[in-house]
Amino acid sequence: MDGSLSPDSLPPRTIIAALIFVACCLLSSARLVMETPALNHPGGDHIAQRSDERFGALKAELPQSGVVGYIGETGSPAVGDYYLAQYALAPLVVDHSANHGLVVGNFSAGPPAVATQGLRLVKDYGSGVALFTNPAFADSAATKDAR
Amino acid sequence: MALGLAVIFCVVSGFLLVSLCWPRGPLGPTSRKGGEKWGAPDPLLKASLTVPFGLGVFSVVFFLAQIAGIRKLLAVDLVTLAGLLAALMLRRGRAGPFGAGPQGLKPSSIDLAGGSTKAAPFPGSNFAPNRGAKATKNNPAWLEPVVSAGFFVSVGAALYSAVLRMLAHPHGNGWDAFAIWNLHARFLFLGAGLGGEHWRDGYSTLIAWSHPDYPLLLPGAIAHFWSCLGRNDPAVPAIIGFLFAFSTVGLLCVTLSMLRGRRCALLAGMALLSTPTFIDLGTWQYADVPLSFFFLATVAFLCLHDERVRTDSRSAGFLALGGLSAGFAAWTKNEGLLFLCAIVFAVVWRMRVERRREGSAEGGVHSLVPLLLAMVPMVVVIVYFKRFVAPPGDLFSDPSTMLHKVLDPARYWAVIQWYASELFRFGHWLVVPGTLLLAGVYVAMGKTGERLRHGAGFRASMAALALTLAGYFAIYLLTPLDIYWHLRFSLDRLFLQVWPSAIFLVFLSIDSGNLCLSTTSQQRQSLPFANERATKCT
Repeated sequence: MDGSLSPDSLPPRTIIAALIFVACCLLSSARLVMETPALNHPGGDHIAQRSDERFGALKAELPQSGVVGYIGETGSPAVGDYYLAQYALAPLVVDHSANHGLVVGNFSAGPPAVATQGLRLVKDYGSGVALFTNPAFADSAATKDAR
Repeated sequence: MALGLAVIFCVVSGFLLVSLCWPRGPLGPTSRKGGEKWGAPDPLLKASLTVPFGLGVFSVVFFLAQIAGIRKLLAVDLVTLAGLLAALMLRRGRAGPFGAGPQGLKPSSIDLAGGSTKAAPFPGSNFAPNRGAKATKNNPAWLEPVVSAGFFVSVGAALYSAVLRMLAHPHGNGWDAFAIWNLHARFLFLGAGLGGEHWRDGYSTLIAWSHPDYPLLLPGAIAHFWSCLGRNDPAVPAIIGFLFAFSTVGLLCVTLSMLRGRRCALLAGMALLSTPTFIDLGTWQYADVPLSFFFLATVAFLCLHDERVRTDSRSAGFLALGGLSAGFAAWTKNEGLLFLCAIVFAVVWRMRVERRREGSAEGGVHSLVPLLLAMVPMVVVIVYFKRFVAPPGDLFSDPSTMLHKVLDPARYWAVIQWYASELFRFGHWLVVPGTLLLAGVYVAMGKTGERLRHGAGFRASMAALALTLAGYFAIYLLTPLDIYWHLRFSLDRLFLQVWPSAIFLVFLSIDSGNLCLSTTSQQRQSLPFANERATKCT
């Protein structure tokens, strides 16, 4: 009924394969453990610092809903800064554009001169976070429907 | 208090939903003579399903409550719970659409299986040590403890790593966590708190980079818990990610223990637990691991249904659970929609092939009704979401551009090269790639002894996974993004989505007379489905 093999026997190659399999899995588990970050490792979590903590004061003074603009630095890391600004300011929609009545500035070392974009500084929150107004879009402020 | 209630509602909702579809009659070739009884519920199998299904229910409830403008979520939870309970009681009262009907398992199948009419242990008992195993030269006594020890070391390593990663990165560890999934959850939770239709604010084309067309299983469930908690605590998505990862391992092990025995289950579980990328992504708060859970659940239920068919039991409960799983997969990520279409196509195709080959009316498309019916609620919710809430996706451009891309051989070559290299790089294994290891196990253990005859569900699952991978291939061909960038940052996650299902199917393919059953005839008979197969295939 059981075919060519007795149910009580295993071919040697099966035993060897099982042992190799277990050994390889354990090696990989060892890598998993070795690469596990320590609780206080230096490259720890900066998401809260770069989002909620960084934009906390600004968020308290912005409208609760609508759309605001955004200006920041250029380059690949700055994309993450923008995403984290949106993460912190939700449910406000943060559009990566200065074409809004209220514009959030996010710079690593203080707000730059933005006069060329026609923006006017409303408040500097420190650490490179600032709020601007764009007179050209004053009517459309942040109360505009996000959709 | 409210959070505690929410956790209870979530778990109980999942349990009731699973129980509602659970097949009547025992899972294995055993029955109380002449008596109909509820399916011997393997507690471990139900436990591994309860939390993910509960989260699925929670996300749908949250979404529907927002559409209806209902703010009292706990009341909605209570009503949902009562509805599920009432449906379950109703089903207990009479054979439901997914029930086995009064016949349960035929006594003849028990006799074929070895003449035993005694109740066999429930499948979960296969995790118990093989105390009766006879040590022989070719079945050394030390093999069992070695495999068990290896498994538990892998569990320990994975738990240690997962917990520390969660603590080190409470907001997840990657852009998708905060730029997509948790951001969507924040929009839902904080927007809903503002009242009106503000929960829709996140579905703006101004932030198309956040993929607002992605479905809501994860964000909806997270937002539901946050609403009960009253704040957006990062621990919620972290714990949900953790639970999905270890529920996937549980489902893999328990289902394989039912179908192939304890050793097979332990080896398969070890393969998944030792895949560093799986543990990584499980704690990164991405949706790929939850999606992999629902892929695996669909495949596992189709294969369990195969075994029910072998025992002449007409239960459609496993098909319904498979349909629900596929529906939840589609509600998790857009890739799940592709999988849902693939599974429907593959199952219909295999059923027709089987029917033609065997010349019987059984296995016709009508037998798929439970599978398709169970998909319907989720499909309706997804269609509503895509039609009335989400903006269009960004994967498809204008037809002429897409045609140009489809006709470009260089794009095919690029994707083929990446698929081939990712097969060896995938998973971040040390020394031997996991895919090679799995292939080696199949070659070493899979082709001797008794021949397995795979059912339509198994073949359909293989076909559906192949179709899903082919669909991913087509999406890379058409992508409006830079193809190399797209491949670099997503292909390993797409492979991970099918990885638990691939492990499951490979171990299911391994010869049952070889390694992957308990080692004595007595224990073979204790497996719920194994004796039936052994009898019919020899």
